[in-house]
Amino acid sequence: MSSIDNPHFVLRRLHSLLGVVPVGAFLAFHLWENSQSRFGAEHFNTEVVDALSGLNYLPFIEIGLIALPLAFHAFYGLAIIGSGRPEPLRYGYTRNWLYWLQRVSGVGLLLFILMHVAMTRIAGLMDPAIHADLFGHMRAALSNPWVFGVYLVGLWLAVLHLSNGLATAAISWGLTASAAAQRRFGWVCLGLGLLLGVIGTHGLIGYLIAPTTGIA
Amino acid sequence: MTSITSAQDRPVAALRTRGDNRARGGAPNHLISAGATPSETTAGTPQRNDPAGHARTVTLRIRRQDHPRSLPYWEQFRVRVSSGENVVSMLRKLRLDPVTSDGRRVGPVAFEHNCMEEVCGACAMLIDGRPRPSCSTLLSELGDLIQLEPLPKFPVVRDLMVDRARLFENLKRVRAWVRLDGAYDTHERAPRMSQKQWAADYLFSRCINCGVCAAACPQFPDGAGALEPQADGFVGPAALAQVRLLNAHPLGGYDKPDRLHAIMAEGGLSDCGNAQNCVRVCPKQIPLTSAIGELGRQTTVQVVKDLFGG
Amino acid sequence: MNKSGREVVVIGGGLGGLWATLTIAGSGHRVQLFSLFEVMRSHSACAQGGINAVLDTKGQHDNVQQHILDTLKGGSYLANQPPVKSMCEDAPGLIRTFERMGVTFSRTPEGLLDQRLFGGVKNKRTCFAGASTGQQLLAGVDQQVRRLEADGLVRKHEWWEFLGLVQDAGGVCCGIVAMDLRSLSVQTFRADAVVLASGGLGQLYAPQTTCSTNSTGAAASRVYQQGARFANAEFFQFHPTAMLGEDKTRLMSEAARGEGGRVWVPKDPTDRREPNRIPEAERYYFLEDWYPAYGNTVPRDIASRAIWRVCRELGQGIGGDDRVYLDLTHLDRDFVEARLGAILSIYRKFAGTDPVAEPMQIFPAAHYAMGGLWIDFEVDPAGGGIRPGSPRNHATNIPGLYACGECDYGYHGANRLGANSLLSASYSGRVAGEAVLSRLAGIERGADRLPDKTFDDAVHRQRTLNAELMANRGGDNAYELHQELGELMTTRVGVVRDNASLDRAAAELAELEQRAARIDLAETRPWANQTLAYARQVQDMIRLARVMAASARARDECRGAHYKPEFELPLPARRASGADDPEWQAYLERWRANNERWLKTSVAEHTPDGPRIGHEPVDLSVLPPAEPRDYR
Repeated sequence: MSSIDNPHFVLRRLHSLLGVVPVGAFLAFHLWENSQSRFGAEHFNTEVVDALSGLNYLPFIEIGLIALPLAFHAFYGLAIIGSGRPEPLRYGYTRNWLYWLQRVSGVGLLLFILMHVAMTRIAGLMDPAIHADLFGHMRAALSNPWVFGVYLVGLWLAVLHLSNGLATAAISWGLTASAAAQRRFGWVCLGLGLLLGVIGTHGLIGYLIAPTTGIA
Repeated sequence: MTSITSAQDRPVAALRTRGDNRARGGAPNHLISAGATPSETTAGTPQRNDPAGHARTVTLRIRRQDHPRSLPYWEQFRVRVSSGENVVSMLRKLRLDPVTSDGRRVGPVAFEHNCMEEVCGACAMLIDGRPRPSCSTLLSELGDLIQLEPLPKFPVVRDLMVDRARLFENLKRVRAWVRLDGAYDTHERAPRMSQKQWAADYLFSRCINCGVCAAACPQFPDGAGALEPQADGFVGPAALAQVRLLNAHPLGGYDKPDRLHAIMAEGGLSDCGNAQNCVRVCPKQIPLTSAIGELGRQTTVQVVKDLFGG
Repeated sequence: MNKSGREVVVIGGGLGGLWATLTIAGSGHRVQLFSLFEVMRSHSACAQGGINAVLDTKGQHDNVQQHILDTLKGGSYLANQPPVKSMCEDAPGLIRTFERMGVTFSRTPEGLLDQRLFGGVKNKRTCFAGASTGQQLLAGVDQQVRRLEADGLVRKHEWWEFLGLVQDAGGVCCGIVAMDLRSLSVQTFRADAVVLASGGLGQLYAPQTTCSTNSTGAAASRVYQQGARFANAEFFQFHPTAMLGEDKTRLMSEAARGEGGRVWVPKDPTDRREPNRIPEAERYYFLEDWYPAYGNTVPRDIASRAIWRVCRELGQGIGGDDRVYLDLTHLDRDFVEARLGAILSIYRKFAGTDPVAEPMQIFPAAHYAMGGLWIDFEVDPAGGGIRPGSPRNHATNIPGLYACGECDYGYHGANRLGANSLLSASYSGRVAGEAVLSRLAGIERGADRLPDKTFDDAVHRQRTLNAELMANRGGDNAYELHQELGELMTTRVGVVRDNASLDRAAAELAELEQRAARIDLAETRPWANQTLAYARQVQDMIRLARVMAASARARDECRGAHYKPEFELPLPARRASGADDPEWQAYLERWRANNERWLKTSVAEHTPDGPRIGHEPVDLSVLPPAEPRDYR
């Protein structure tokens, strides 16, 4: 049985699954948490950063549930990209553009996430001051229009990658079989993507406009 | 003795109408479902009985290649055509006396065609950059400059001829057959099948192996430069649709796990990238992406059975 | 894998060839399958309407006897009756086998195989798969053959052209010589039996034909020139309803009439109004008027000649041209879509108008060759059909050479019943396969033991022919010669024939043959040179055309598709009113006398001076002709 003797299928499905859970789920959670930036430094540093830092088994969660699945999804994804030859200009259909964007965004996201993790989590580990006032650190960074731009692009790439990934995963897993179902679920994913994107954009802007001392 | 006037003397009926446009660009998978006929066709202005036939001269740019090992080159021709013609009839006309636009007499352009009714699948090529059967591509849809190239992804044999052996190898890879005890009568009535199931299955049985879906699929391996057709990489939408079809058949269903396992290996179902070009370009409007979705469901069930079913 | 060590060659990957391959390889023998192109692209795929088999599921008390009778009467009793009997008896079993293969036959609401009415019969007897039955049947057998190919029992040679048989000193067929259409290399393949399933020959009438480009008859012509007898060549069916086109004329399936389509012309041929604007009273439904019992479902030859007559003799064609309306617009749109979807999509695609909204325009076109290679059969004295498994069945007069499918003459007599072609192609392929199995069992010394020289000579001969063609300069263009041939055949050996015109045809064809010997290929590339293969086909098509013209010349009567008005036996003015109707009795007398003289198979043999036509008796042992056809 090729499903057991040959890991190809299981690996592909694992790639798909991990992209949704935990990676996709984490993205949604992450954007929700960071949207709290608008409540200011004190609220953010206490209610978001410190609360998360205080979780039991945090390293296991961070490495086992986020980093490793993400790394698998990213690097197996790169291998998949290698097998395709997109021609979005020749076949300008929406789905074909999305096929291309999914791959482009995947590569872009890998770079963005490496930068993002280095700038925040790793930098926080290196320098306790950054960890202590992550809000201030982010506010300072995002005040640079270039950094803000990169974050905005990274955010929307992530949201696109997740929502389009959800739509295609639904086909791959057989949740949506008919063309009509695929279309309907496509709209659901679009809505979800817009919602997440708005939440995330709101969070990014929050760092810049929220009071440093907090309003709580 | 009376004689039949030759076809050329007769006004060729009609031009394409809006209904045809819709069939090409619009919803692909409703060919035979009720109410899906293009009702607005009557609104189009019929141009039958037009004795002038809208004759015009078109410029043909053809990408030629003398041998699989030689380099491709372009040649340009000018051909006098009438409105009822299609790309195949134009190429047939051209081969009578192939003279390039700059007056050189060259060898006839090699191209494949057989039925000229879009059921044999032989004549697919790249027409103005799009993969299509050339017999059903009416010149009235095309401009005055027409560009023809061999169907991509497949090794070029000569000019517009390509070797699509890979398509048929892929049918073997997915075990696209019912395993009969023998091709003799077993004296048993055919298994019953609901009209609903028939209507769904029939759509997939109309595949003509033209290779257009594979040509447009970003995941289908590019073997254009290969001297021999390869037999690995993504099997492509057409073969998957046959798995969908045969799995649904009352007897074909007996070997469903075998076929599913075949498409769970490398180059199988999960190599599909969901770009869905296939369903947009399929000349027979086969709901290829529905087949892929259904097979997604079947493999999901299959892997659960494999892992936990004992 | 190869059970016997015997080799079989099958030429042609259509329904007949694949069935033969399936039967032979399915029994464990190795088959080498030759096809001009990738298997699956054969003309069988074009058959739209359906396949006849008596299932009697429509409450009409249909029975096999009636199918036999319809087939024989449809063919004006010219078919040998035992093979027809067996074919009709085996048809339901074939359908069941196809169904097991996965062919998507259309269903009734109860999930049973649906059956529709077809031209020339009164019962619903035609199984169909949407409106692409041929394609579906071909796919079913193709899948089975692919399975045997995966098992190593079938080896496909795609893009190979059959050039001739290899015969040993005793004339026994011991292999073939064929050309790779890519490398142009000429090779021989040894075989203990060869099955020719090369299809029809409609290209002789190009472009006024519904046939695919491969239906040239060249392969049949080649074995004819090597001594195989060619029978009933004059019988060629013109499909009454083909849409007009420059490259070919495209078939509008008879199903369009079977499902209720009506054929008409404006009463005033100069009427330029849109057809839908022409009121009922100003339309002439000539088939319904002339043949009230069958109306629009009269058999093909009747319909073809009626349309011919309306356009040519009465000048009633639309706008005075060779066109009549085939009208579906009065039928329910959903019903028409479900039953005829695929054939209508062809019309939409190629003519650009919607036949559900506006009547189609059609005219007869060359469609199917009833005649073909002469084949033998062995009568089963017990049942009156053919003896199953006899090595004589489907054997040509060249020992070791079998023929099946449209390239044989076996089942249709003077005209073919609609939806009998898919049946005869499938059935004959299977019977030929079974015959080959019996032959193999009786072989003691195989072709593999023959000296190389026989084969080397064959290769040398063919290479010489190729080299001569490649070297020719200044002669005719192959494509233009083909056009001339098509025009000549359509005009002189077409729907209506007369002897003066046929004499001219014979002379003109002899001249064409001379010119064809000097074809200038205008290209000498030694790789995938399509013109070389084409030129050789044109040469052999002309030789076959001579057989058709000579056979037509030799038959001075009207029978089935062969229509020579000069020799027509006019029906009495009214139908028979009883045994004491003197007018009818006199007609019957003339009819019997005519049968006495002409109810014979015409058989052509190749001579250096052209075809020699003889006539031999027909086996009438099942249902001797008792009454003439009267479709009024």
